[in-house]
Amino acid sequence: MKNEVRRRLLYGGPHRPFYAVKRNSSLGKRRGRGGVKSRSFEKRGQHPGTRGRQAEARLATRLVRAPAMLKCGMGGSQVKVFGKAIQALSRVSDELWLDPSEKGLALRSVNSCRSAYGCVLFSPVFFQQYQWSTSVKMNDNDTISNLNCKLGMKSILPIFKCLNSLERNVESCKIFTRSDKCKVVIQFFCRHGIKRTHNVCFQESQPLQVIFEKSTCSNTLMIQPRVLAEAIVLFTSSQEEVTLAVTPFNVCIKSSNEESMDLTSSVHSEMFVGPDEFDFFQIGVDTEITFCFKELKGMLIFSEATHAPISIHFDFPGKPMALSIDDMLLEANFILATLADEPSRASSPQSLCLSQKRKRSDLIRSNSKAGKNVTSKALEHISRKAAPKRLCPNETLTDISALENCGSPPLKRVSGDVGEVPASSVRRAEEVLGSPCLRKFSCMFFGAVSSDQHFSHPFDSLATASDSEEDVNYGSFSTF
Amino acid sequence: MKFRAKIVDAACLNHFTRVSNMIAKLAKICTLRISPDKLNFILSDKLASGGVSMWCELEQENFFSEFQMEGISAANNEIYLELTSENLSRALKTAQNARALKIKLTNKHYPCLTVSIELLSVSSSSRIVTHDIPVKVIPRRLWKDLQEPTVPDSDVSIYLPVLKTMKSVVEKMKNISNHLIIEANLNGELNLKIETELVCVTTHFKDLGNPPLASENASQARNPEQMAEVHIDIRKLLQFLAGQQANPTKAVCNIVNNKIVHFDLLHEDVSLQYFIPALS
Repeated sequence: MKNEVRRRLLYGGPHRPFYAVKRNSSLGKRRGRGGVKSRSFEKRGQHPGTRGRQAEARLATRLVRAPAMLKCGMGGSQVKVFGKAIQALSRVSDELWLDPSEKGLALRSVNSCRSAYGCVLFSPVFFQQYQWSTSVKMNDNDTISNLNCKLGMKSILPIFKCLNSLERNVESCKIFTRSDKCKVVIQFFCRHGIKRTHNVCFQESQPLQVIFEKSTCSNTLMIQPRVLAEAIVLFTSSQEEVTLAVTPFNVCIKSSNEESMDLTSSVHSEMFVGPDEFDFFQIGVDTEITFCFKELKGMLIFSEATHAPISIHFDFPGKPMALSIDDMLLEANFILATLADEPSRASSPQSLCLSQKRKRSDLIRSNSKAGKNVTSKALEHISRKAAPKRLCPNETLTDISALENCGSPPLKRVSGDVGEVPASSVRRAEEVLGSPCLRKFSCMFFGAVSSDQHFSHPFDSLATASDSEEDVNYGSFSTF
Repeated sequence: MKFRAKIVDAACLNHFTRVSNMIAKLAKICTLRISPDKLNFILSDKLASGGVSMWCELEQENFFSEFQMEGISAANNEIYLELTSENLSRALKTAQNARALKIKLTNKHYPCLTVSIELLSVSSSSRIVTHDIPVKVIPRRLWKDLQEPTVPDSDVSIYLPVLKTMKSVVEKMKNISNHLIIEANLNGELNLKIETELVCVTTHFKDLGNPPLASENASQARNPEQMAEVHIDIRKLLQFLAGQQANPTKAVCNIVNNKIVHFDLLHEDVSLQYFIPALS
C-alpha cells in the first residue's frame, strides 16, 4: 500500500477515481491501527483542501505531525506568466515566500528595508491542478499553520530564467513540496520526453503580508502598461526615485531631486500624460508622491506578460501606494512606501530608506501637527481590526513566533537617538508572548494609542497603510 | 545669452539623434559650440582625453526649422557649453516618434539645456516630455583652446575601407596588443599592424584610392610605395571606429609620419574630424 502510494506521487497526476477506491480500502486497513492515527485521519479528511491521496501519504510516512503541503501543475503558457511574476518579485527582494491558501498560490516578497512589498496571487483556476493543505499538529493544542516556505531568489530565479525558451519547450510544469526534506520540487515536462527536475530547499518562515485597502485611496489611475513603459525609458538606471504628481488635469511622472545626487550632473526629466490616456482616472486630491523606481520596473516586467492594465492607488505622500494588476486568473499587488512629505520642502528628500533615518527629527517635530490626524486614522485602523496592520506576519494571531520575523533588522539600521527607542520597544515586544503584546507592538508602530508617539518610525509610511488586506482571512477580494 | 531651436521634421530628428549618439560614444564630456549658422561638438586635446581631439560640425539649417541664438556679446556671438554627451543622446532617444523637439538654454537654479519633446500619442492629447540637461557655460578666456584644429600637412592621404570591417579587425587585435601601427601609402594601400614578442599580425587593405592632394610639391616628391606610419593606442582607434554606426559618405585618413593620424569623415552633411596622436 505504502509503496503504491509513493509511486503515485512520483508520477504525479490525480488519478482521482483510483484514489477514491484506494482510500476506501485503506480506510478499512488503517482503522485497525492505532486509535490516534485513525482519529487524525478523519479529522484531516474533513479538512478543506485535503484529498484522500494526501491523507494517505501522510499516514504512509507515519508522522505524527502532518506537514503542510502544496502541489500544483500548470501548462506551458502559464509557466511564462509564473516566471515573469518571479522575475518581477526578484526586483523587490532576494527572498520569496510560497504561500498557498484556498484563494490560490501567493508569491510574496518584502524588501529588506520594508519599503516595498510584492504579492502575486494565482487563483486555483490559473493552474491545471492545485492542491494544498495546512499542517495540523497532533499535539495537545492543534495549531494550524500554513506552508511557511521561503525560497532564496538566487535559487529559484535561474530556474525561470529563459522564459521564451521555457514557453517553447515546456509542455507542463509541476510544483510540489516535500516538507520532510524542506524542499520544493519544480518539474518541467518538456518536449521530446525530457523531464527537468529542480529541487530547491526552502526555509520555514512565515510570510509577511501587508494590509492595504486600495478602495480607500483617494487617487486611482488605471493605465496600459505600454504607456508606463514609455515613461520608464526617460529615467536612467542611476535614478533611484520617481515622482508622480497628479492634478485633475494631468499626470506628471518625473525624476525626483535628491540631495545626495549632484544636481549639476543629473538630468531632470518630466513626462506629462493627459487624462484621456488612462483607462480610469480618478483624482481626489492633488498630490505628489515619490517612490522607488526599481519596483515600478519590476511591476512593468510582469504586466508585459499579462497584458492587463496597471492600477495605481495612492493618496498623500508618506502613505504607501499600490500598483496592482487584476486579472481573472491572478492578482498582483506591489505596495511601495512613498517618501513622507516634510513641512520644509526646501530640503530635498533623500532616498527612501535613508531619508527616513535622517529626517527622523523633522518627522517628530511635524508629528505634533500631523499627529492628530495620524492618531485618529491609526486608531480607526486598530479599532477595526484586531490584527496588527504592520508588515508583520500575522497569519494567525495566535502565532506569536511570527513576531521574530518582524522588522528588527530595519530598525537596527536606524541610527540616532530617536531610532533606538522604537528598536528597544520591538525587542521588548518580541520577548513577551501573547496578544496584549501584539497590541502594544502595533500601537507602537502606529504611534497611535501609546503615549510615546513613535510616529517617526521608519515604516510609518507603510505602517499607516489602512485596512483590509488582500489575503484570505479578512479582506474582500472581489476577483475570486 | 540665449538659444532656442526647434526640429519638426522626423528625418532631421533621427539624424540629429544619430549624431548625438555618435558623439556620446566618442567623448564622455564634450563642448557644444553654438554659433549663428553652425553647431559644433568639440573635444579638445587635453591630457584627460589622452591627446585625442575631435571636431564635429553641422549646419544648423539642415536640422532646425527654427534657430535663434544670442552669444555672450555682439562681438563674440557664440556660446560654448560643456555637457555630458550621454545625457543629450539619452534625452533624444525618447524622441523617437516626436511631433516636435525644442532645445533651449535655460537657467533653472543652474544652466541647463532643456530638451522638450512633444510626443505623438494615440489619443488626442499629446504627451510632453522635458529633460533638463545640466551644462556648464565656458568662459570666453578658454575659447582659444576650443577652436577648429588646423589640418596638418599630411604625408599620406588615403580613403578608408569599410569601417565595419576595420572595426572588427581592430577589435580582435586589441586582445593581442595595445600598440597599433597604422600605415598607408599613396598607392591606395593601408596596413594595420601589431607586433608582440610572440606574434606579428598585419591586415592589408588594398586598392583604397587616394584623394587628390592639395599641394603638388609633396605629391611629386614622395614615392607612392613609401609608407607613412604612426604608432597609436589601439583603444583610441577602436573608440573612434565604434562610434561610427553607419558607413560615412566620405572617409579620409591623413597620416603625418610618426606624429598624428587624422580621420576626416562626412556623414551626409555632418563633418567629423578625429585626431589621434602618436604614442610617445
